[in-house]
Amino acid sequence: MIRFDQVSVTFPLGNTALNNVSFEIADNDFVFLVGKSGAGKTTILKLLLREYLPSTGTIMVDDKEISARRIGKLHKYRQSLGVIFQDFKILPDRNVLENIAISLRVQGVRDADVREQVLESLQLVGLPGKELLFPAQLSAGELQRVAIARALSGNRDIILADEPTGNLDPKTTWEIMKIFKKIQGSRTVIFATHNSDIVNSFRKRVLVLKDGILQKDIRKGGYDL
Amino acid sequence: MVLFFTLFLIAVILTSVSFLYGLLGYIETRPQVTVYFQSNTTEQDIFALRDALLKSGQVASVTYISKEDAFEIYKEIAKDNPMLIEMTNANILPASLEIYAKRPDYLPQIAQQLENKPGVDEVQFQKIIVDRLLALTNAIKNATIILVGFLVVMATVVIVATTSFKIALRRDEIEILQLLGADSMFIIGPYLKEGFILGLFSAILATGALIAVIIGGLPVIGGYLSGISALDILPATGISLRVWPVNPVFLGVVFMITALFGILIGTIANFLAARRYLS
Repeated sequence: MIRFDQVSVTFPLGNTALNNVSFEIADNDFVFLVGKSGAGKTTILKLLLREYLPSTGTIMVDDKEISARRIGKLHKYRQSLGVIFQDFKILPDRNVLENIAISLRVQGVRDADVREQVLESLQLVGLPGKELLFPAQLSAGELQRVAIARALSGNRDIILADEPTGNLDPKTTWEIMKIFKKIQGSRTVIFATHNSDIVNSFRKRVLVLKDGILQKDIRKGGYDL
Repeated sequence: MVLFFTLFLIAVILTSVSFLYGLLGYIETRPQVTVYFQSNTTEQDIFALRDALLKSGQVASVTYISKEDAFEIYKEIAKDNPMLIEMTNANILPASLEIYAKRPDYLPQIAQQLENKPGVDEVQFQKIIVDRLLALTNAIKNATIILVGFLVVMATVVIVATTSFKIALRRDEIEILQLLGADSMFIIGPYLKEGFILGLFSAILATGALIAVIIGGLPVIGGYLSGISALDILPATGISLRVWPVNPVFLGVVFMITALFGILIGTIANFLAARRYLS
């Protein structure tokens, strides 16, 4: 369970990124965060990643307040999160297997088990047999699949996807969305996007943000900017 | 490079100081002050002086060389010249005391006291050699502390800067690792390993360079130490280490100390750099 309670974020120069936002997300729920650029979508993801701290309000994840100034074992908390970025953030000097293996190694998975689990993840994202290729040998869609495989590896309960299809063409976007369809219901997914076609096709819960304010919380939503 | 240079200097200084201490130790095993008595001085007076010396707290041991002992020594020295032996007898040779001080810097004081004693004919002691050796050892010791301290700081600063630069180049990777939940040790670990290997590798090179210098300088060192069969250090600890002739055990110890310095500097510097970046 994720709970935002009257969360605001104001940056040192005075601009407000999030204003008094409250919502709850149940385990294994699939939620779209939608809104124009600057609406506060990425800020919510960064708060969950604990890259940002709220100026006011509290954020609870599985009954643990992650918005406290100091929390013990931040790395342990982050091991429960899988993150997918618009720009993939794949290490260019490591092959596919090594890129995904990092996600497992930080969790202390034994070397003997790493390869097997990586290959399972690659199967899930539709990249079997590509484990030894380097990022320069992959298309944008394939890179994003690698990033998704990395985020899904190692039993990460919460998947945070920050505009994961933002850099992809429509065909590849739908291929990527098929992967999200496969994992829905098995993990909590928070998917930030401003692509209304994706949101409308999924018919999942939608949190609509505008200028840092949560404007709507639509249970089985469609979305139109 | 800077670590290699630092470790090479540490190895050279370590070897030099070991040799000087070995030499000091060697000199301390020689009679340091020899006092010769006038021929009319009785054994009773000599023994009284010996006992007073032993009670002074400055003297480690005193050996009495009687006229007869002196003649035996003379015969040994002049064994190739029988005529000289025939012309000499025990009575014309002086009795003497060979005095070993507890510390070399007690020697001038002991010698000065003996010169004023009745019955003393002459006092000989290796003042110049001991003084010079003491001065040299102290100077090298002080210079070593300053120089090695400076070099260690310099090496650390350079390695911290180099590693910081390398870490900055990998900031994307570190950011991803942190977001994936890597703990500090997971991120710092490879840099610590790199520092360890850098230190060890530099120590191997530095010791190799030292061995090359020693081999090159062996004829010169051998010339200076001619007549000295062996130099040892740390005999007081019960674990005597032979410095001269140069041997694998001594070089092994030098390597181990140099490697320890190298590994510590390399590891700590990389740790500081990584820590600074992460914080």
